[in-house]
Parts: sequence; C-alpha cells; structure tokens
Amino acid sequence: MAIVVGVDVGSLCTKTVILDGDGGILSYDIMRSGHYYKGAADESIESALKSAGLKKSDVSYILGTGYGRGAVAEADAEVTEITCHARGAARLFPEVHTVIDIGGQDSKVIGIGDNGRVINFVMNDKCAAGTGRFLEVMALALSVDIGEMGDLFFASKEKVEVSSMCTVFAESEVISLFAQGHKKADIAAGIAHAIARRIVGMVGQVGLREKVVMSGGVAKNSGVVRAIEERIETRLLVPREPQIVGALGAAIIASERMSATIG
Amino acid sequence: MERVLSKIAEVTSDPYAYVAGLKERKNKKIIGCFPMHVPEEIVHAADLIPVVIWRGNEPVTWGHAHVPPYDCGITRSFVDDAVRGKLSFMDGFVFHIRQCLQAGEFPFIMERHFKPAYQKILYLPAIYPGDPTRDFALKELESFKTSLEDFTGKMISDDSLKKSIEIYNKNRSLMERVYEIRRAKPEILKAKEVMQIVWSSMLMPKEDHNELLTELIKGMEEKSVKAQKERIKVIPVGCLCQTLQFDILDLIEDLGMIVPDDDLYIGSRYFANPVNLNGNPLKALADRYLTKTPLCPTKGVWDIHWGDEAIKRMRDNDAKGIISVRVKYCPPHTCYYPDFRSKMAEEGVPEVMIEMEHEIISLEGVKTRLQSFAETIGGV
Repeated sequence: MAIVVGVDVGSLCTKTVILDGDGGILSYDIMRSGHYYKGAADESIESALKSAGLKKSDVSYILGTGYGRGAVAEADAEVTEITCHARGAARLFPEVHTVIDIGGQDSKVIGIGDNGRVINFVMNDKCAAGTGRFLEVMALALSVDIGEMGDLFFASKEKVEVSSMCTVFAESEVISLFAQGHKKADIAAGIAHAIARRIVGMVGQVGLREKVVMSGGVAKNSGVVRAIEERIETRLLVPREPQIVGALGAAIIASERMSATIG
Repeated sequence: MERVLSKIAEVTSDPYAYVAGLKERKNKKIIGCFPMHVPEEIVHAADLIPVVIWRGNEPVTWGHAHVPPYDCGITRSFVDDAVRGKLSFMDGFVFHIRQCLQAGEFPFIMERHFKPAYQKILYLPAIYPGDPTRDFALKELESFKTSLEDFTGKMISDDSLKKSIEIYNKNRSLMERVYEIRRAKPEILKAKEVMQIVWSSMLMPKEDHNELLTELIKGMEEKSVKAQKERIKVIPVGCLCQTLQFDILDLIEDLGMIVPDDDLYIGSRYFANPVNLNGNPLKALADRYLTKTPLCPTKGVWDIHWGDEAIKRMRDNDAKGIISVRVKYCPPHTCYYPDFRSKMAEEGVPEVMIEMEHEIISLEGVKTRLQSFAETIGGV
C-alpha cells in the first residue's frame, strides 16, 4: 500500500492530507504556520500520521505545495498551490470548471479543464485586501471572533460600504463607521461584500464557467460565500473542509507520481 | 566569449559610472535619449555620444516632489536621478513625447528645474497611415538635426549621417546574429546575459560595441552546448521601454523554462530591422521609424495586431507559451493588455502576465505565477 502525503504550507495555516494506495483520505491536519514553516510542515505531517496510525517510514512520497512549499524538508517534489487546488477541487467535485481560492495571504481564481488541469488563472498577491489576513484584521477591528463574521453577515439590516482596495484603509473605515453609529453586523456584511467585489473582478478575467468551487480558509465564512454568490449569480460549491483542498491536490499528484514510478 | 560577457556585465552593473567615464575618455558630450525610438544615428553624426536613458535601481525619493507616485518606474527613476544630480554627466536630452502621457512631462520638468545645455522634443507620429505622417516625421527629424547643429556649431553632412547609419546598421546585424545563434542554441547564453548585451549596446559607442559583438559571435559559433530538451521554451513579451528586472529572467530559467527569443524593448525590439540607405539618409531614418520598428501599444499600424506578431515569434521558435511582462503604471501597455490577452485566448496560446513595479516586486508571488504557468504548459 503506497501511502502518500500532500503538505500545503500556507502563510497562515499548514495543511496535510494523507492518502492510501486507493486514493482514500486516511487523515488530515490543519495547524497555524507561525513563523517557522519547516517546523510547521514537520509538525503537521507528524500529526496527520499519528491520526492515521502511521509512521514516517510508511510514507512513499511527500509533495509540498503552498507559499512555503520549499520549506517541506522531506518533500520529494513541490508543485504550486494553483495546480494543487485545481486537482483537489476536481477530485471533490468532478464537474468543477472554476475554483475561487481565498487563502491567508492571497486569492486566486483558477479556470479548470475537464481533466482537472489548470487552463488559466489570476492571482492577487500584492495586497492583503480580500484575503484571510484581511478578515482577521477586520474581526479584530470589530472586536469579534473571526468565526462569528459569517453569522453577522446574515444579521445585517442596513447596507454599509467598505473599501475593497486596502486592508489598512479598510480598518480605518471600520473605525469611522463605528463612530458614525453603524452596527457590527452591517459593517461585517460590508466587509464580506468588499471581498466579493475584489473576487468578481478576478473571476471576470478568468471567465466564469460552472461549476464553481470555493476553497481556502475564507470559504468557511458563509457571509463571504453568500456575498460572492450574489455578485456572480452562481451557487458556490464549498467542500466540507475547504482548507485542505490544496493539500489534497498535492497528495493526488504525489499518488500519480508514485503510480508512474511503479509503472 | 567570457571576456566579452564580463566587460558587458561591468558596463551594465553601473551605467552611471560607465557613461561618466566614457565622457571623460572620449572627451565628447553625452546626449541622453529617452526610450524608445529616438534616432540615435543623428546624435552620433553630430559627433556626440547618444546613450539610451535607463531605469535606475534605487527607490525614488526626492523625485516625488516633481512626479507623482503613480507614474511608471523609468519616469520616476529618471526624474529622481536628475534631482539627485546622478545624471550631471549628461549634456542634453532628447524626448520622444508622443509615445505616452508620462514621457510628455519630462521636457517641462527638465526645463523648469535642471535647464540642460541641450534639449529637444520630438513629436514622431504614433500611428502610420501613409504619406502625410511620413512628411511630418521627416520634418521632425530635419528639425532635430538642425537643433543639434545649433548646439555643436557644426553642420551634419549627409555623408557623416550615412556613415553613422552604417555603424548602427552593423550593430543591428551583429545583434541579429547573436539572436540567430541563440535561437539555434538557446542554452548558450542566460536570458539575463542576452538582455545585458542589448542594454550595453544602448550605453556604449556603437563602434566599441561592434568590436565586442564580433568577438562574442566568434565565441558563440565555436562553442558547443548540450541541448536541454526537457526545458520548456517560452517567449517574454512586453516591458516596452525599460529594463526588465533580471530576477524575473533568472526565475524563468530556474523553474525549468528556457528563453530562445524575446519581444522586449531591451531585447529584439531595439535592433530590429536596419535602416535602408538609399538616397536621403533622414528620409531613410523616418522610413525605419514609421514602417520597420516593431509594433507596440505606443506605435502602430491600424490593421496589424501586436499579439499576432508575438504569437508568430512564439511559433517560429517552437515555444510553448508567452510571458507578458507589464510595467505598472504604463498607460499604453495597460490599456492594450486586455486586447492582447483576448488575442492569446482566441488563438489558444498559453500566456501569463507578470507585473513589474519599480520599488516593489514580490518575487514569491512571481515565482508562484511562473511555476504554475510552467506546470500548466508542462502538463502537470
């Protein structure tokens, strides 16, 4: 049984997925990356192996992906998160043609062919606006737990505009919106719409082709998901655990490479 | 070959020191020609040294008092260099201001604050619809020639202009030969080295550069290299008037791709097509400008699409994709890019866009884009 591991070292979280020889998920792990990516990768692999009742020596192939893909010390190869998210999403939803991935530090829209291969993509990595980090900063400014942000969206009664262009300016805006007497829920909804506006621009560049999957940590925010759905007028398919899609894709590619080696 | 490459690397690693030293060695005045398309041959024929102005490698500081932060890198860098006195070895400037909005700001900024001994504004037509633009361009070049004669106090004869054109044509044909060998043996030079070779041509007297190229070509012809067939051929396109950040070229190669040719200003665009010397040399220069300089968003012919030219270059080189390098805050290129991208999509050409900004470049992000592109065209 060829056990393979996919490790996605993101700027905020490191994710690991372990597959068995038949491509079944044996276990997965999600942890904060911190400032030492190599250590986070090692720890995440260790934790996922423990959950699956496996040892490192059981593993045939490790593939690293994500922002810190070069930090996976024991990786046999590295592939970008763009390719991995496409492959992971296609495994979970075979009919997918577009992936919206909003991670901790950047966001991507990926166009996918029928075989799960990337056709085209756009990536925003110059500004934290519209990313997981943006949501974290906004949650802090709203004094709410980041997990509550999605629920607040649905409690909103009044439309409030928040800039989508800059995290720092958006934070100042949130403070002034408070000063103007706006409610937390309305501001939270404004923030979700700000993220959605940025994403719609990227979807326009790649071209919207259904089905559309949303992956990455921000997909756990139901408010942002709804805001994007409203703007692109398309339902988003969100995996049960959207954060591990990249690591799953990495593990799938690892598995393909193992099969090719074995012949 | 190594001697030439090392000399070229020396020239391009500190163009300020090189050009200042050149002025002293040759005891001639230096005229900075703002890219692109200034016919340097006329400056050369006036017994002056033309050098193409470059984008510096330092963040802009004092220059922001004169140009807004949303101007492109070379615009801001040039003004910053001027404000900081880094260009004091230049005796004059020529600006072709029709090519973009920002280039139009220079003559006024320079005149107001720096008062160079010589300054000329060229208004060369951006679109070529036929004879009226040819006449207009010719008149502009005549006025350029006269202004240089007034500056030096010496007439520029047709014979001296023809001689300068011959020297420049020789440089073009030698550069073309370098590219020809590289197309056949892309492994022979790194993409960065090729860009340095072209850039050095913009800085050095062409006579000196021709000597270097002759030696380089001999070395390139003799050198055998092992073909790296597993590498994916790609064509960088764009970056129309300034040096592409070398790190990007290194990344392309580090990620398993190889560059057999390019469509860059500091690349094949600079030396493309000789001047046809036949009769009036000024008319020949106007003809080259109007009909032979490669098309781009700053200069075009209505019925030819720049994207077609790029695709042809890609296919001629058996390359698998195009890497578009766009300069942030470049209005012509930015406005044209959606058309370019649509053309690539229509033709099914894999293309990725890398945006370059003077002070900021997130190399990790560029790496992810380029690596994903390589994976996409490599079938991962």
